[in-house]
Amino acid sequence: MGRTSEGATIVAASLLAAFAVALVNFANGQGVDAQIGLTFLVFLISFGTLYFSVRAFAPRATPLLIPPVVALVGLGFFEIYRLDPARAGLQRWWMLIAAGTAALVLLLLARGGTRVLRLYRSMILFLSIGLLLLPNLPSDWGFPLRGLEVNGSRLWIILDAGVTQMQFQPAELAKIGMVVFFAAYLADHQKALREAHRRLGPIRLPEPRQLIPLLLAWGGSIFILVWQRDLGASLLLFAGFVLLLYAATGSTGYLVTGGLLSVGGAAAAGYLFDHVQRRMVAWLAPFEHYQDEGFQIAQGIFALGTGSLSGAGPGLGRPDLIPNASTDFIFAAVGEELGFAGTVAVLAIYALFFSVGLGIAFRSRDTFRKLLAAGLTFIMAVQVFLIIGGVLRVVPLTGITLPFMSYGGSALVGNMVLVALLLRISHEEAS
Amino acid sequence: MNGPIRRIAMGVFLCMAVLLAGVTWYQVVRADELRADPRNPRPALAERGKERGLIVTVDGTVVAQSVEDPDDPRSFLREYPEGEAFAHVVGYSSFNVGNNALENTYSSQLRSRRDLTISDLVTALLGRDLRPHSIEITVDADLQRAALAALGDNRGAVVALDPRTGAVLTSVSAPSFDPESLLGDDASDRWLELLATEGEPTRDRATLELYAPGSTFKTVVAAAALDTESAEPGTTFADPVEFQLPGSEATISNASRRACNDGQTATLLQAFVRSCNTIFADLAIQIGAVDIGITAQALGFNQEIEYEWRMPEAVWNTPDLAEDPAALGQSGIGERDVRATPLHMAMVAAAVANDGVAVEPHLVRRIFDADGDTVEETEVSELGRAMTSETAMTLNQMMERVVTEGTGRGAAVPGVRVAGKTGTATGSGGFSNPWFIGFAPVDNPTIAIAVFIEGSATSGESASGGSLAAPIASELIEVWLSS
Repeated sequence: MGRTSEGATIVAASLLAAFAVALVNFANGQGVDAQIGLTFLVFLISFGTLYFSVRAFAPRATPLLIPPVVALVGLGFFEIYRLDPARAGLQRWWMLIAAGTAALVLLLLARGGTRVLRLYRSMILFLSIGLLLLPNLPSDWGFPLRGLEVNGSRLWIILDAGVTQMQFQPAELAKIGMVVFFAAYLADHQKALREAHRRLGPIRLPEPRQLIPLLLAWGGSIFILVWQRDLGASLLLFAGFVLLLYAATGSTGYLVTGGLLSVGGAAAAGYLFDHVQRRMVAWLAPFEHYQDEGFQIAQGIFALGTGSLSGAGPGLGRPDLIPNASTDFIFAAVGEELGFAGTVAVLAIYALFFSVGLGIAFRSRDTFRKLLAAGLTFIMAVQVFLIIGGVLRVVPLTGITLPFMSYGGSALVGNMVLVALLLRISHEEAS
Repeated sequence: MNGPIRRIAMGVFLCMAVLLAGVTWYQVVRADELRADPRNPRPALAERGKERGLIVTVDGTVVAQSVEDPDDPRSFLREYPEGEAFAHVVGYSSFNVGNNALENTYSSQLRSRRDLTISDLVTALLGRDLRPHSIEITVDADLQRAALAALGDNRGAVVALDPRTGAVLTSVSAPSFDPESLLGDDASDRWLELLATEGEPTRDRATLELYAPGSTFKTVVAAAALDTESAEPGTTFADPVEFQLPGSEATISNASRRACNDGQTATLLQAFVRSCNTIFADLAIQIGAVDIGITAQALGFNQEIEYEWRMPEAVWNTPDLAEDPAALGQSGIGERDVRATPLHMAMVAAAVANDGVAVEPHLVRRIFDADGDTVEETEVSELGRAMTSETAMTLNQMMERVVTEGTGRGAAVPGVRVAGKTGTATGSGGFSNPWFIGFAPVDNPTIAIAVFIEGSATSGESASGGSLAAPIASELIEVWLSS
């Protein structure tokens, strides 16, 4: 696939998003209105910007990455529009901002390339930790940047620009910064990590000295996230870190240790936090606790089952019955209205995205770029598995968003930055 | 480094396969089960406010219709113009309470198929009609209203059939309720109120409740006696004041506490006309549980009767009664464990009226589309011959004598030959349950009827089939024949 067909696919996906919005309108008896054209325009401008900045700043990047992203954003967007048109309006602004940010990343890396990231890895680490700490700013001081607590978790900041307020979840960007730091650090110490090791029974573990800075950075960020009760993000970061460590060293000891630690961590979290206990109950027996803990998962499953093979049709199901349908449960909402056909398509598109991401990592000659591409794809894959698996009762539900599809500006910005980095790496490796 | 990445990639795709298996499990394998789960509100929500077809009676009275919601032109409201009289037949289609009776059984035919789905589009392109179908029922609206009025404040039921076709002319249960009260937002509260109301108006006593048929069951025993040639109308029996049940201390006596005839002998005809328990207990033991069971089964007992909804089975417990002559004696007068719904007893009367052939009852005459064209028509379905033609003819005469000179004189209609059998079964709370089954006119029966009163303070302690149920039958036969 060349650049031209990539462009054509982007236009086609934008048209499909607008068409889905039109179908929702018809289902609600609203007919043709500005929303349809506006959706098409915003998709075209957002992804057009990204497309042309790729042409300008990373012309040799793979053309296979942007089309699946546009398709996923489109599938999520019509469902957000169907559930809450006001949120869809906001999401459109966020699409513009996210695409702009991704274009900016490509522009900034145009000259120095991803080498710059490796160079400034420590700064990126401190920036990320700083970002993670931002929500702990007081909620009631005069400064226009304030922390915000939602549902017992302290994940948000508010930027009060006077006329308008903007909410942001800095962890969405911080996790990318953390991956950049891990990749850079592991690339630096890869040799030492692989060769200097100790034996613990059958398991080979590297020299602890080599790992200390890494463990500090990682432990610190996990601590902050647990403190803020963002357990989903901490699990994500943990899993991404363990996978990256394994990728860098090839030592299965990390996978085993990581697995054991996550089970232990989950048990500790269950002991410490009520809401984790409730989630376990909801996971194991949603229908027995239909009236309370299990309600959301049970509704999600009913939505999927009622959607059946072909779905109710855009705007014709009742995904509004699922709590948090436009964020955590967007997959069930799409499953209800587009059916099995829709959910299989969503899974296939994610699989395509992961293949392309891992393919970039696979073909990279540079260790840092290889680890960065792998790490970015890993956290994306883990996130997709955790949230869809949570909806499908494969794993307990963690409160994280479905990349590209869920409502939420910060996540979209973070994920588009991730896409920009992958594009840049594929450009550099193709040179 | 590519080795570990490759292995992780395998893991990633394995995870995707797990997710694919997950959606397959919920959206393909268990989809129907999840859709039908009573806790899943989606199917009911999808029906809410949608147009449903008409339910009309054979005489053209609209008993259920959908009208546009004045507040929301895209939505429809369901109306039941006949209210209480048709509550148990038509039922209701309520978002909060669910569907019941015909509204439930024919829900898929009555609903509009306009779902705005892709399959709709295909159907419409193929030129098929998406508008809801309507149904025409066999009930006569005047008779139905008269039946509910005739029951008055009593608890009970009336079922009338066309004996030749099994068409249900009337099926009412009292007390009744207004189905429209279950359609609003407060439907759940109204429903709970109805459940708590004395007399339990939501119960359909006509087709869904089993009662001891009392002496109306003697019709079945007499048919078995004639069919097996155990007795003829003139056959004489010993006529004691009390009949000693074999192998038991218990005795059976007549309602009058006297002998049936002269204390010496009485004929089968006399015993039938005067409804003598002593002689029918004796007769039942002589015929035997098996032969009575054969006749009872042919008349619709001990089997699932095909109807618009699932009815409980009427009970004649052959295996147990074959072992226990005392119980057989008590069962021969329709007591002990014998059970039937009023509809079952109307079928018994109808079979006698129809030359001994039992016919399956049905409520729906036809289903028609929005243009009025018939989509489906109910065909008359015979249950089979329940007794010989001669037996039926003899029973006709015996039942007519019940009305002309016996316990059923209250059912007489001037100028019409009416046949019938009364019953006064043991009820609950010290009250008895009056019954009457019968048909008219005898020479060419067009209506078979069962009247059942559930004994309560309203009916009083001295109420009997002859005093309370038979006059209601008389009134309704007159309404039917004059229309």
